[in-house]
Amino acid sequence: MSVTKPISRLDVLEAESIHIFREAAAQFRKPVLLYSIGKDSTVLLHLARKAFFPQRIPFPLLHIDTTWKFRDMIAFRDRTARELGLDLIVHVNEEGRARGINPIDYAPSLYTDVMKTEALRQALDRHAFDAAFGGARRDEEASRAKERIFSFRTAGHRWDPRHQRPEMWSLLNGRLGTGESVRVFPLSNWTEGDVWRYVLREKLDVVPLYLAAVRPTIERNGKLLVLDDNRMSLPDSEKIIPRRVRFRTLGCWPLTAAIESEASDLLSVVTETLASRTSERQGRLIDHDQAGAMEKKKLEGYF
Amino acid sequence: MSAVLVEEADPPGGAGVLEPGDGGRPGAPSDAASGDGSSDLIHVLTCGSVDDGKSTLIGRLLWDGANLPEDARAEIMQTLLPDGRVDFSRLVDGLAAEREQGITIDIAWRYIDSGPRRYVIIDSPGHEQYTRNMATGASHADIAIMLVDARHGVKSQTRRHAAILGLLGVRRVILAVNKMDLVGGNEARFREIEADFRALTARFDFEDAAAIPVIATTGDNVARSSSAMTWYEGPTLIEQLNRTPSRGTVAAAAFRLPVQLTVRGASDFRGIAGTITSGSIAVGDVVLDNASGRTARVRRIATMDGDLEVAHSGQAIVLQLDRDLDISRGAVLSAPDAPARQVRQLEARLFWMADAPFDPERRLFLRGATDLVPVSSTGIKAKLDLDTLGEVETSACAHNDVVLASLTLGRPTTLDCFSDHKGTGAVVLVDALTGATLAGGSVVTLHEAEGDASTGFILTTAVLAEAVCAGLEPSSPEFRHRANGVAEILKLAGVDVRRA
Repeated sequence: MSVTKPISRLDVLEAESIHIFREAAAQFRKPVLLYSIGKDSTVLLHLARKAFFPQRIPFPLLHIDTTWKFRDMIAFRDRTARELGLDLIVHVNEEGRARGINPIDYAPSLYTDVMKTEALRQALDRHAFDAAFGGARRDEEASRAKERIFSFRTAGHRWDPRHQRPEMWSLLNGRLGTGESVRVFPLSNWTEGDVWRYVLREKLDVVPLYLAAVRPTIERNGKLLVLDDNRMSLPDSEKIIPRRVRFRTLGCWPLTAAIESEASDLLSVVTETLASRTSERQGRLIDHDQAGAMEKKKLEGYF
Repeated sequence: MSAVLVEEADPPGGAGVLEPGDGGRPGAPSDAASGDGSSDLIHVLTCGSVDDGKSTLIGRLLWDGANLPEDARAEIMQTLLPDGRVDFSRLVDGLAAEREQGITIDIAWRYIDSGPRRYVIIDSPGHEQYTRNMATGASHADIAIMLVDARHGVKSQTRRHAAILGLLGVRRVILAVNKMDLVGGNEARFREIEADFRALTARFDFEDAAAIPVIATTGDNVARSSSAMTWYEGPTLIEQLNRTPSRGTVAAAAFRLPVQLTVRGASDFRGIAGTITSGSIAVGDVVLDNASGRTARVRRIATMDGDLEVAHSGQAIVLQLDRDLDISRGAVLSAPDAPARQVRQLEARLFWMADAPFDPERRLFLRGATDLVPVSSTGIKAKLDLDTLGEVETSACAHNDVVLASLTLGRPTTLDCFSDHKGTGAVVLVDALTGATLAGGSVVTLHEAEGDASTGFILTTAVLAEAVCAGLEPSSPEFRHRANGVAEILKLAGVDVRRA
């Protein structure tokens, strides 16, 4: 039996993701792509374009805007949507905004619950989406490691880890029960390293915050925060110091820690990331808020 | 935390690092920007009964062989076992719900990069109630590590797992006989268990099956050869794992493309999108649609990165054909000289995963590669007896049973036998009402529907008639191409071609 050259790992992962996109598009009535502007979303969007080529992406993108994203992220989002001619829906939890829920005066868990989890549920319900693509990876965190590719949610968007549907081979069974919806994770089997290697290989544009530059920072609880606007009041003890920093993950600026780095181009970012000995969630302040934080958020309907 | 313990725990980069040959240090910067990553990728399932020490073994593999983040290491070092040792199992037990109960409910996926190789560890629950999750994991595995406790040996759950591995096509299996320290590293005890394992190996057609005595807590025969069990001269667990070929390897086989959907582009472009489950396809090749019996030639293999000349198993592609076959999701394109089969009746070996037993009155769908077909009747013929490993006749089927079932479908669909083509021979049963996946398994027998030959004859005659009406010269390449396709199909349908 003759054997041809093995397909590269990134090619295997890319093909699997495309397969997942197509399975979901074929089986669900009204899917949406959860676009969060970061590197994972960038890869997700690129794979979606490949999956339906030469056709346009047959579903809209949804961005849950907490109103606290870095300005660079919003600019990148709008430019991407314009350049690729995407159907982009931006949703803000207006009730939360009216109540003044913000990440500075409120506990991160409460803020996230209102401005992200609740906002997501609102948007999914309002548009009656039955499937939402997300960029979550199983290597990110313990409860993610247990997630299916088609991850079912009850009518209240809850995840039931005790009764996940068997998911055998690449037979993705998308038949929904009454009131059920599904989260679809095409990047399930990618690692952070794969995402960066792919960004590099496919020459994808990413938000400039991923690259090191001198930015105004403060140090708080041992973490470096980059001040993106003047909404955070500082005690006298905190001095604004320009530091050369970049981000491993992006989110709401008061909740996202930067790392000091000299990596100012993609190649050096990738090299630095793959040599890193800490996990990327170190930079996400919300995950350290309480034990099993991510699992709890997921049970309540967080992505 | 104690620095001594860190040293005792064999930091990565040591002798036992998971890697084929002498690849680079895990995560070495030199490897970082090799744009494509490397090609090596294997999926390893771990399974065992409750308390076999499986989480500890995986934790040990991660600890010894992986690019484990330092914050994860630090977190583990914060909570040591009462006797001061590292609790490796804490690296894998994910859910709070699981920690509360002290059991693993669902499979956890872990990614270990070591040199050029990526190991995807699929850790499956031992608890009998959650065997369905083990089956989910098994369907994705290239190799399985079955764990037994040296004190208890091969148990009923071990045999069930072996049966599921056999059913789902996992052919490479390692039996890790764990907790050898608790039987004093006794060789006779190991040989006894190994003999029981050999019976399973023979029954479920495992190839390259090895039994290895290990001690997960100390790492004996995991990453390094045991000094406590010098009588064992075989490979360590990691050495045995490293003999598994990468899943990116493409074997020569007949072409299959289950159609996922069709895509449209500028002007008349109508593409057929899907993932190749078997074989290869090149521009100019002829493909057969089993359902209509019609053939077409591949004009383009389109991707966003440009057209391909040839594509292989595992690639997700879009085919543009030289004529519209009018096919949609659920169809399978095959190589005309070794086509898939069009059937309404089949036999399948199934693992029953639903909590509720089989109910012949329940409305079901059969899900093949991309087709969802109503089932008109299902009968259970036999079930596997886990004690004798033989099949016994029965018409009933309950949670966790491995059964032989015969199915009649509401309409024909395109399938293969699982032993020939995994991608088009794997099936699941779906509850029509709730959408739940009730059972999964493999097609073992296909019954060609009566009258298929004549149907094929009528269809292919129609194709020829259409070619004549289209004004094709009988001497033209296009006409000959169609006629050849027709002859192939007639032969397959058992029709005497000269007479036809």
